[in-house]
Amino acid sequence: MLNKNFKYALALSTCAVLMISQGCKKDFLDVPPQGQLPSQEFFKTPEDAAKAVNSIYGNLREWKQTAFAPMAVESLGSDETEKGSTPADASFMNAYDNFTVTATDGQLEDFWKGQYQSINLCNQVLDNVPAIAMDANLKSRYLAEAKFVRAYNYFRLVRAFGDVVLRDHVPVDASEYNLPRTAKADVYAFIEKDLTEAAAVLPQSYGAADIGRATKGAALALHAKVAMYLKKWADVLNYTNQVMGMGYSLFPDFEKSFRIANENNSESVFEVQCQNLASIPGASTSQYSQIQGVPGNLNLGWGFNVPTDALVAAFEPGDPRMDATIIFRGETTPQGDVIELTGPNPRYNQKSYVPKSVPFTSNQGEDQNVRVIRYAEVLLMNAEAANETGNAAQAIASLEVVRARARAGNAAILPKVTTTDQGALRTAIWHERQVELAMEFDRYFDVIRQGRAAEIFGPKGWKANKNEVWPIPQNEIDLATGVLTQNPGY
Amino acid sequence: MKRIYKISGLLLLFTFFSTFASAQNIIVKGKVTDAKTGEALIGVTVGVQGTSAGSQTDVNGNFSVNAASTATLQVSYIGYTTQTVPVSGRTNIDIKLESSATELQQVVVVGYGTQRKLDVTGSVASVKGDDISKQASTNAISSLQGKVAGVQITNNGNPGASPEIRIRGVGTVYGNANPLYVVDGVWFDDISFLNPNDIENMSILKDASSESIYGVRAANGVVLVTTKKGKGAPTINYSAYAGWQKVTNQPALANATEYATMINELNKIQFPNDPLTFADPNKFGQGTNWLNTVLRDAFTMKHDLTVSGSTDKSSYSFSAGYLKQQGVVTGNNYDRLTTHMQQDVQATKFLKLGYNAVIQHSFSKDAPGGLIYKAFTAAPVVPVFYADGTYGDPADFPIGNATNNPKAQLDFFNQRSKNYRITGNMFAEIKLASFLTLRSSFGGEFGEGEVLGYSPAYKATAAQFNDNSDLNVSRAEVRNWIQENTLTFDKTFKDHHLTVLAGQSSQRYKSYNIVATAQNVPYTSDADLYLRVGSNDQQFPNTVTDSGDLATYQSYFGRINYSFKNRYLLNASMRADGSSKFIGNQRWGYFPSVGAGWVISSEPFMQNQHIFDNLKLRGSWGKIGNASVPANLSVQTVNNSAGFAAIYNGVASTGANITTIVPPVTYWERGVGTDIGLEMAFLNSRLTFEADYYKKKTEQGIFAIPILGSLGTSGGTIIGNQATFQNEGFEFSAGWRGQINADFSYTVNGNFSINNNKVLSTITGQNPIYGGGAAATGGQLSTRTILGQPIGQFYGLVVDGVFQNAAEIAASSQKDAKPGDFRYKDLNNDGAIDAKDRAVIGNPNPKYLYGLNTTLNYKEFDLTIDLQGVAGVDVYNANKGLRYGSENFTKDFYDNRWHGEGTSNTYPSANIGGGNNYKPNSFFVESGAYFRIRNLQLGYTLPSALATKMFMKRVRVYASAQNIYNSFSYKGFNPEVGGSPTNAGIDNGAFPLYATYNFGVNVSF
Repeated sequence: MLNKNFKYALALSTCAVLMISQGCKKDFLDVPPQGQLPSQEFFKTPEDAAKAVNSIYGNLREWKQTAFAPMAVESLGSDETEKGSTPADASFMNAYDNFTVTATDGQLEDFWKGQYQSINLCNQVLDNVPAIAMDANLKSRYLAEAKFVRAYNYFRLVRAFGDVVLRDHVPVDASEYNLPRTAKADVYAFIEKDLTEAAAVLPQSYGAADIGRATKGAALALHAKVAMYLKKWADVLNYTNQVMGMGYSLFPDFEKSFRIANENNSESVFEVQCQNLASIPGASTSQYSQIQGVPGNLNLGWGFNVPTDALVAAFEPGDPRMDATIIFRGETTPQGDVIELTGPNPRYNQKSYVPKSVPFTSNQGEDQNVRVIRYAEVLLMNAEAANETGNAAQAIASLEVVRARARAGNAAILPKVTTTDQGALRTAIWHERQVELAMEFDRYFDVIRQGRAAEIFGPKGWKANKNEVWPIPQNEIDLATGVLTQNPGY
Repeated sequence: MKRIYKISGLLLLFTFFSTFASAQNIIVKGKVTDAKTGEALIGVTVGVQGTSAGSQTDVNGNFSVNAASTATLQVSYIGYTTQTVPVSGRTNIDIKLESSATELQQVVVVGYGTQRKLDVTGSVASVKGDDISKQASTNAISSLQGKVAGVQITNNGNPGASPEIRIRGVGTVYGNANPLYVVDGVWFDDISFLNPNDIENMSILKDASSESIYGVRAANGVVLVTTKKGKGAPTINYSAYAGWQKVTNQPALANATEYATMINELNKIQFPNDPLTFADPNKFGQGTNWLNTVLRDAFTMKHDLTVSGSTDKSSYSFSAGYLKQQGVVTGNNYDRLTTHMQQDVQATKFLKLGYNAVIQHSFSKDAPGGLIYKAFTAAPVVPVFYADGTYGDPADFPIGNATNNPKAQLDFFNQRSKNYRITGNMFAEIKLASFLTLRSSFGGEFGEGEVLGYSPAYKATAAQFNDNSDLNVSRAEVRNWIQENTLTFDKTFKDHHLTVLAGQSSQRYKSYNIVATAQNVPYTSDADLYLRVGSNDQQFPNTVTDSGDLATYQSYFGRINYSFKNRYLLNASMRADGSSKFIGNQRWGYFPSVGAGWVISSEPFMQNQHIFDNLKLRGSWGKIGNASVPANLSVQTVNNSAGFAAIYNGVASTGANITTIVPPVTYWERGVGTDIGLEMAFLNSRLTFEADYYKKKTEQGIFAIPILGSLGTSGGTIIGNQATFQNEGFEFSAGWRGQINADFSYTVNGNFSINNNKVLSTITGQNPIYGGGAAATGGQLSTRTILGQPIGQFYGLVVDGVFQNAAEIAASSQKDAKPGDFRYKDLNNDGAIDAKDRAVIGNPNPKYLYGLNTTLNYKEFDLTIDLQGVAGVDVYNANKGLRYGSENFTKDFYDNRWHGEGTSNTYPSANIGGGNNYKPNSFFVESGAYFRIRNLQLGYTLPSALATKMFMKRVRVYASAQNIYNSFSYKGFNPEVGGSPTNAGIDNGAFPLYATYNFGVNVSF
């Protein structure tokens, strides 16, 4: 019954055919990640170094860096803004305005994570770029750029939370994941070290292809601001004097200096670069302007973070900066947008305003740069430091540069400050900061730094020995399982 | 190549053996028939005991076999009692086989073969195709609900989504926790493409020892699906039904007046000095019922035509099915065409060839994602349309922008999806000897999915507009194959029955997905819907992005089944699996199993008792693996997201960096399971009972656990082997077949199971793993997984009432609270309410599952009643507290809310989403228990005389209803929630429950 040869042959051939389909390939199970570059193939070339540094700048536009979290943590506590939009819209934001915020609020965690995500990008560059064979000057500049941004992130963290977790390198293994908080003074020392090292290397300016990168002036100006928070007045004076010798000047038209056409102007010390990029879709991530944009028919945004009565009252009579800082209901903007008379809020932020005529792809106002440090602030820090170190003349001179620009040739307004009384001059400089830097996310921590928070924010609920800092995010405390402590009072 | 020689050598040996054994004497011929009906039986194995000789009966039931005149024939057929017949020199022997339709004689499909139910030492449940296709579900899995002990099916109501299935609790936390589906030998993660009508049988392997032969993917159970094969005389079968589906148990929402009242209350709480938002809530009346504007009663129909049969040398079955299903969201339609083809041919005496194939095409007009949720939350004060025909606009009302006009969202949504899929398997089976079979098979899946979405430029409301038209096109491809060789030895030596299986398998899974977009695409007809028509300029560039995955497996396996005198059973198996998903030393996993059984009722000392028809004790142990985790977990990759592009002077420069932390090594996640079972049959096997105790441990379970934000990673989690946990429980099933008289018979089958889930160890030691921190819970971590407790317990503050007035607040630890806010328990008595006061507030892992399935037959009528339920489970009703602004509330909330001193001490004020009220707390946890009449069907079969007159074999008409009655206390849409284990049971969104009513007919020619 059996043709045994046939049977044998058939069995063998069937088997052989099927085995060959896979059995002979030794590497059948070796499958690399699909469409994803393994990290050990990164940080090998100068191009990799450039890309990694790019990621640091690109990430600064991101939601947690420029939108709700900074608005909550760095702006709403101040007397110059309130939540805005309709009452029920994002009502959790009110907790930052009336100081009822608790550790579980999501914006705290977003702010925390956002800064540390940026710090990780910087640490990756600082840990990995040194080993790349490339032009030594370019390499040290890349490292200096990373240090500048890392210092900026830690400064934002230390202002917001006090003692924070200090990571100066990418964790080597799991033993370095869960670190306790480092004392505020040590965090400041770390920031100052980064900025000193960055300023020593960064160029005063870049060629056209690199505009937007951190400059020596940016590092010195940020260092001055950090030193100002530490009341190291001689340092503030020194750093600002250096910046003032670098050729910066105030843009003549205050209102126009905030428009897209005038980004990176002579007054710009550091700006977060935001633009819809045809060449890289999906990169235009900034919602900084959108969250503050005028809602309603114009539909420029969501209408959050709106100027208060207190801010309106702060401007001296006739100060043109009021109209340049605040969009009033019913007005027609210089760019021709007619703001509806009805609408939930009487005022909106004009410094972040992008007119209707500017097209966008994803988010309204996505092309608006965030002005982090303007030369005007350098002048005001110089004035304050000069005053604190007993040099009233220089203080008055620097202050007057700012006021003169605001005056725009109208001798009837904003008279020159002439007092040489240290206290009166200090008050004048602080007032100038309030109106010159209004709606730029500076006021809240500035007032705390000045030691006047109980007086100015107290009526809103601010309490001394508690509200100097926000609570550490509860999720972070949970995950740290006992290693992280909460700030007092929370 | 070395392996080929080895196997060839082995083949040669077997071939020789078989040749040697087939000495011939006389030719015995005869016919095999059913003892009861006299019908010829086709394909019956007629073997000669002690030799390899044998043959099968042809289409007329005839056989012919070479045998010694003194030999004994062994006649066996699935579903019939095996007979041994001495030849005694006869050349013509007719054999009548007795049906073995009793429980213990049943044959069940197990991994790589079949076994008599009697011989099974593990826990295997079998569900007949009829029971599946009888139900109105378009997905075969959802028909299993309530049918099998220990199998939890969660139909989450999301249209088009496959149900979630958990066999004996959660076996996997990260990755796919659904079982492996093996359809005619081909492996799948999902079988929603199968037409339930094409299914012959489903076998659910529940214990680790039966599963472990599928080692690599078996950790969450295995469902073996056998599709239909042709049997007997050519038959044409047509079945069809038509009916409708409607949303049931929909929670009532506040009407416009009630809504306006609550928005007034909400805003008054936050801004006490502001004027009322709505001066006169009463003027709005009922307002808009948004759910009614987007939902409808949906029409469904299905037609199936099957032609099947078999001859002595071959069998065939061809079927075509068409399903047309409307979604409950207006405009949502789904059409599915399926064809199933099966053929096999006995090409020569020793060679059998065959194939199975399913070709499927589906087309759908999609509904916008989350639309029902938008309708659930939309403000009833906003009209659908204004009198002038324009859309009602929430921006015209003082209610912020948290809600939209769902009707506008629906009207401007235009997306179509198509799927094409060919799956199948072909095989060659070579009978090397009567006891030795080599089977080679090659199968796979070839699929393509297409999505075409187009949104015109429009302006419906202030917030719902599109300035520039968008076109989205995507293609998803699947190319999978599986190739397997098995060698099966099956022989009876007197009282010993031995089956040995050896096999090899290799598999490859490749997927690829590409998505492209264009803007400013004009539309005059579909002919314009091409990417190249888009503006593709500086401001509106076309985009393309793609992604893919590839995984390979290589496996070797073997199994021995041994039984002695049908009394003592021993099964052992071993599988070695290599997976490309693991690297280095971790690549290979080894999965052994053993099982033993003792059929006590077959013991001589039991022969005189009349209580037990069957009494069997069995126990098994096995190890199983889980490779359904993402590939290369320990390979860190570069993040080159578009957002990392820097801009220098208005020019973009791409960015990239490292933003993740990966574990240094990832190990196979392993399941280790023990099962002890008791099977009993009484009263002529009319009453059956089965009980199982099981313990299933998942070792080195892969979790994604949140990590510290200060690490600065982009995902916020680290994935790795983080914990060991177990599911332990009991399962009971009982069945009764009753016959009152010749006209009236009935069956009742019930099942009940208990499962306890517990974490045995975690990488964090005594420290918990937190989860559930999505938007649903206000971003707060709301679940906790900790040593000694179930996975993903709800964790939060404990509500101790509602503050009635300022005095109560002043006397409490919540000084910032407002009247109407929750009063929380100060569990640690430190005078402050904070995170330290959180406690376990619920368990999302169901403890009890039960089902009761009844059929009654009276003359020509038949009635099916399936009941099913779940108990001992909690649901986190996140919809209550998840509020961004002026979303609508439920009527229940309106009726019970706090709105002034003394109005409620359980429900808070309208500010439930604000203050500290939204935080995870016990108010949001509700019982997820439910009971339902899952299926109700009444059928009538025409008397056969009448059918014959109409030239038909059989005609049956029926009416059926699914989910006709649901009982639960849960305040949301549906207590069946599901979700990944550390986020399970958190109900966020609106996934309604559907009731289905159908009328159908089955006709055979």
